[in-house]
Amino acid sequence: MAEISVPGDVLFEDPRRIDGGYVLGNKTIASVICVKSEDRAVPLKGKYLPIIDDYVVGIVSDQRFSGYTIDLNSPYAGQLSTRESRESFKIGDVVSCLIQEVDEVNEPMLIEPRKLYGGRLMEIESVKVPRVIGRNSSMVSMIEKYANTKLFVGKNGRIYIREGNVALAMEAILKIQREAHTGGLTDRVQAFLESEAQKIKE
Amino acid sequence: MEKPVLIRNGKRNDGRGVMDLRPLKITAGVLKKADGSAMIEWGKNKILAAVYGPREAFPKHMANPNRANVNCKYSMAPFSSLEEHGRSGPNRRAIEIGKVAKHVFENAILTNQFPKTQIDISIEVLQSDGGTRIAGITAAAVALADAGIPMRDLVQGVSVGKVDGVLVVDVDKPEDNYGTSDIPVIVSLRSNEILLFQLDGMLSKKEVETALDYSFETAKTVRELQIEALKNKYVLEESGA
Repeated sequence: MAEISVPGDVLFEDPRRIDGGYVLGNKTIASVICVKSEDRAVPLKGKYLPIIDDYVVGIVSDQRFSGYTIDLNSPYAGQLSTRESRESFKIGDVVSCLIQEVDEVNEPMLIEPRKLYGGRLMEIESVKVPRVIGRNSSMVSMIEKYANTKLFVGKNGRIYIREGNVALAMEAILKIQREAHTGGLTDRVQAFLESEAQKIKE
Repeated sequence: MEKPVLIRNGKRNDGRGVMDLRPLKITAGVLKKADGSAMIEWGKNKILAAVYGPREAFPKHMANPNRANVNCKYSMAPFSSLEEHGRSGPNRRAIEIGKVAKHVFENAILTNQFPKTQIDISIEVLQSDGGTRIAGITAAAVALADAGIPMRDLVQGVSVGKVDGVLVVDVDKPEDNYGTSDIPVIVSLRSNEILLFQLDGMLSKKEVETALDYSFETAKTVRELQIEALKNKYVLEESGA
């Protein structure tokens, strides 16, 4: 049975190092608002913190001789060296990057920049990204199939959508964000996509 | 104005008992553009709290490489009470309340998780009737939880006052003005810590102890309403699906 825990609630009776919790004495206490089910606690809200090996979607916010500053929809902006790419970017360009390294004050170094163009960018809560991706990216491939689009989902909560029915894909993603903490989501999203696709055919 | 009779036949001027709170209602997530927000209606008090961040610290030289800066602003709207407020920026009292609220949240938020950033909290009093600093901080705690900022505990408080020689819980405006003393207290029920304690007037050591017991006891009710406000927000979203 899933239930909502708030800061200060006891999550587990034993000490655990988890996201959205801290240890006090021999117990694990919730530090953010989260959904607790049997042996897991999933935060409901929170800003994105850069983690090594995450693929993110950023917006170029500053350009210098040696590199770029990339806004990551996070309190911490990423740094991208000009050495990483032969391409040059302009302020406002949307790029996908890989986080190579995060220093002790959470500031990330980015590599593998790729300019994203010809599509639309949307933002969702970064804590809901795992639900949008689904198990083995099942949810993403389902949306791609029904809306005939190509998605690039950044771990920081930015999603780039290209080709096909962009509006339908965005609606599905917003639905997932709204209902991320409820069960049986895949079936409901599939039903939604099917009915919408049917409407378009008619 | 002449001092009114505040306690008659064991009942207070608005009909409450000694340990009764005023009607209390909290709503989470009322502002769209804020990262987290809450509105509290506590008796005749109406207070909005908004939270922005964690975000890049500004000015940049103030950024602390070990923890996040917490900024807290308390302000009363010019129309919030019988007296005039805020026609020429924050006054001495507003600066003080902002400062004590900042210290409360510096101790509640796990600031070490967000180095070099700042968290901005603003408490706006729209309508006041005594006990606004307690109500404001209680609302701001809900707003912080709504923003998903990690905290040790959801903090809350109740003020205790001495009126006509009797200790009463949750003082309103007439009791505050004509009572002999009042103590705003903010507590953390998880660790039984006191995060804010101010005292106005004279009380004996015994009375202070009783007052603290009263506020810890009644804070439990406030906490339950805070939790309800947060849960309502997400349950509503679920049924709206």
